[in-house]
Formats: sequence, C-alpha cells, structure tokens
Amino acid sequence: MLDAFDYPFVQRALVEVLLLSVAAGTLGTWIVVRGLAFYAHGVAAAAFPGLVLADGLGFSATLGAFGVALLFALTVGQLAARARGGHDSLTALTLVAALAIGIVLASDVFHSGANVETLLFGSLLAVDAGDVRLAALVAALALLATWALGQRWLAVGFDPAAARGLGARSPLPDLVLLALIALAAVATLSAVGALLSTALLVVPAATVRMVTRRMLPWQAATVALAAAEGTAGLWLSFETNAPPGATIAVVAGGLFALVALGRGAHTMYTRTRGVAA
Amino acid sequence: MSELAPLVAADGLAVGYGAAPVLSAVAFDLRPGERIGVLGPNGGGKTTLFRALLGELKPLAGTLQLAARCGTVPQTERSRLDFPVSALDVALMGAIAGRPWWRHPGRAERRAARAALDRVGLAELADRSFGELSGGQRQRVLVARALVQDARIVLLDEPFTGLDALSIRRLEELLDELAREGRGVLIATHDVEQARAWDRVLCLNRRQIAFGPPAQTLTLDVLAATYGGSIVTLPAVAGGAEGERLALLPPHHHDHEH
Repeated sequence: MLDAFDYPFVQRALVEVLLLSVAAGTLGTWIVVRGLAFYAHGVAAAAFPGLVLADGLGFSATLGAFGVALLFALTVGQLAARARGGHDSLTALTLVAALAIGIVLASDVFHSGANVETLLFGSLLAVDAGDVRLAALVAALALLATWALGQRWLAVGFDPAAARGLGARSPLPDLVLLALIALAAVATLSAVGALLSTALLVVPAATVRMVTRRMLPWQAATVALAAAEGTAGLWLSFETNAPPGATIAVVAGGLFALVALGRGAHTMYTRTRGVAA
Repeated sequence: MSELAPLVAADGLAVGYGAAPVLSAVAFDLRPGERIGVLGPNGGGKTTLFRALLGELKPLAGTLQLAARCGTVPQTERSRLDFPVSALDVALMGAIAGRPWWRHPGRAERRAARAALDRVGLAELADRSFGELSGGQRQRVLVARALVQDARIVLLDEPFTGLDALSIRRLEELLDELAREGRGVLIATHDVEQARAWDRVLCLNRRQIAFGPPAQTLTLDVLAATYGGSIVTLPAVAGGAEGERLALLPPHHHDHEH
C-alpha cells in the first residue's frame, strides 16, 4: 500500500513537503495570529509573474519569484502589518494585477504554454535538489526567527498601539516576518504552486487554531498537521494519479471543514445542554 | 505637588490623521501622583489624544512633551479576545523593553509579572486565557502589564465601559494606588460624576474646552460646550444612593446604566 514511497522522486517530494511543513507550520501560526492570511495568499500570487519572467528569460525561478514577492511584501505588506483590515482592497488589486500580468507574459510574450499550469499549481513530484535546499533554508529561518522574534511579534500583534510604550517600536521584526512569509510562499511554489500556497501556509494553522489556546502547542501541532496532510496528500495523489498540490489542498481543506463542523456541533451541544440544565 | 516636574506637558497641541486636526488647542500638564479624567463625547478627541501620547500620531502644531514612556490600557478589541495568550503572557509583554530582542523572558521577569498580577488581584488567574477573563479582569491584566513595564504615565481608554459596579470600584481603587505611587494617570471616561473624584479634568470636544480641578471646571457651561446640544441630565437625588447619581450622556451612548 505504501509502495509509492519506494520511488526516489516520491521520497524527494516527501522530504520537500516535510521541510515545508516545518516552515509553513511555524510561520502559519504567525500569519493567522497577525491577520496576514490574505497577505500570504497575495504574496504567493504576486510571485507568479516573477516565475514567468524567470522561466522566459532563463534565470533562477526562485530569484524571480522572491524578487517580486519581496517587492509585494515591502509595499502592501507594510500596510498589512500596520493596520489590520485596511489593506484588503489593495492586496486584492495587486493580486489580480499580478495574475493578469503573469498570464499575459506567459501567453503573449514568452509563450510558456503548458508551464503556466505548473507555475500556478506546482509540481511536487518534480522538485529538484535546489527546491529541497530552499525548503530546508526557509524551515531553519522560520524556526530561528520564531525563537528570536516571537515575543515581539506576539506583543505587537496583541496591542499595536502599545508597542511604542512597551519599547518595541522598531518596525524591523515585522519586516522580517513579512519577508519570511514571502520567502516561505516562494518555497511552497514548486510544491503546491502560486494559487495553492495557502493550503500549506494558512490552512493547517487555521485548523489547529480552533482547538489550541497557546502559541507553543499551536505551533507544534500545526507543524505535525501540515506534515501529516502533506504526506497523506502526496500518497493519495500517487495512488489516484491526481496532481499532488491540489490533493494536499483538498485534504487540508477537508480536515479544516471537519474540525470547524465538529467544533460548531460541540458548541451547540454544550449550549443547548446549558440551557436545559 | 506643583513643584514636581510634569510627566506630560502639552501646549497649543493639534493632532489629526491627515492635514486637518481633529483635536486642537490642547494645553495641559500631568504631574506625578495625579489622576486626570479626560471627558468628551464620542469623536471628541479622547482616543486621538491618547494616540498622540503613545507616539502613534505626531503633533500637527504645538508641543507635546513626555518625561517617560506610556503604559496603556486600551479599549477591548475583538481581535485581542481571540489572541492565544494567558494573563501571564500579557503581563510579561510589559518586560519587552528591558531585554535585548533575542532574549526570552527570564525567571526574574516571570516573577515580576506574577507579582504584578498579584497586585491587581489576579494571581490565581495567571494561566487563564486573556479572552476568557471578565471585562474587569482584562482591564486589570492590562494594568499589570503597565506595572511590569513600570510605566510612570498610565493611559486608560474608557476602562469602565461595560463593567459591573464591583469591577468599577476595584479598578478605581487600583488607579488611586497607581497615583499614590507617584504615577500620572490619564483616564478617558464618559462618566462625569466619576471624574469629579479625580484631581483634575480635561474636557475635549474637537478642541480643549476646559482643564482644571473638577469642582471649579465642571460647570454647566463647560459641560454644555463639551457635550454639545445632546445633554441628558438625570435628576440628582439629594443624599441618594450611589446608583442614582447625576449623569451626563454624550450622543450615541444610550446604553449607559447608572
């Protein structure tokens, strides 16, 4: 039944998805707690034209994607971290513009053709050693930054207005968070693509958030859940011959829905019982 | 007391979000050990003044001098209630300034945070989630954060809104204590009668209407100018119970019960 994992390219995909789980699991919790989910989606989508450019002009895809993502992080992201909610329309506009520019570049300038689908939805079974190295780097940076800056990210997110008074006025920690999310989004591109990046970056963290109340257990459980969903999605895609990125997204989305339903049912049950008693 | 150097000194201060000020002609000082009630209608500039004191807004005109950094007890926000932090975590946030950015809170800081929670009467709820606490308990956790920070200036933005009588009294006592320690306390409130117990009042309605000791300052003219045309005056009952005191309600504030 687990024959799939005998193949070297599946093993490499597994290593990739496990490394990404560490990065996405730790950063995902910060994305959710700081209200940056839409930003994370936007930054991944913004990387798409960078990928098309890199593909067409023949330079490193990672470089192209990260360049554009970083640009997005420094403009829209700044607003996102500062004022919760006020940046949504700007993010949406940039997201649409990025996708449109990417598609026009792909279809009319570089004639990338079949590559577009890969760029948008990833190709986990075709990752190379460079992708794995990038995932390992992002995982290490995510852990290091969480350990070093987590206290500040938490304090500033909890009460942005008090940050100056508390002596946490420097915008640097937040910029590091935004840049790391951009880097993580780029790292997930090869696995799940620009449009499904949130399946790893946001969905597992949002799922675990419903059943945890503290940062540390939330982060540990999110890493574990992302790894489990990634592994299950990879195996399922191999068995059913479905695209792995989409399969992982479906598994993650399905589990999120189940947990949300279960929680809703539990709340309703305890409430009605409370009324009856 | 007046010889002490002020903690806050504003003169001709104007602040706003764009080019046009939403609050202007503010001139007051906050001295150590003083409680100042900040009165005014919704949109009158109370929160704007606090944002200027917190350094979020730069003065458009005039000067604003602070002798120390501010601790703050902000209004309740939905997003804060969902935050995955305990009361102790919140109190510990007050210790951020005291250590390099890569360092985690040490044993001494944890002890200080627990001591602060103990002072505000929440020692046994230290590990409870912030969002699970009652409104009054949450305000006291935020006061504990200011204590850990050792803030000499403490700002409270409508801290009594939605609290029951007992919680109000506990918080008032806590504020009195802060002032006795020599801290300067600025409290934005809707409750004029409550502000009468404090040292001075600052009346704002898009500009400064008046500033001074409550007995001399809170005249009907000042209150009318502060709250505009929509004064609601409940008849004061001579020697009445505490629940029947005189109240002036700003516009859009019909849910206030006394």
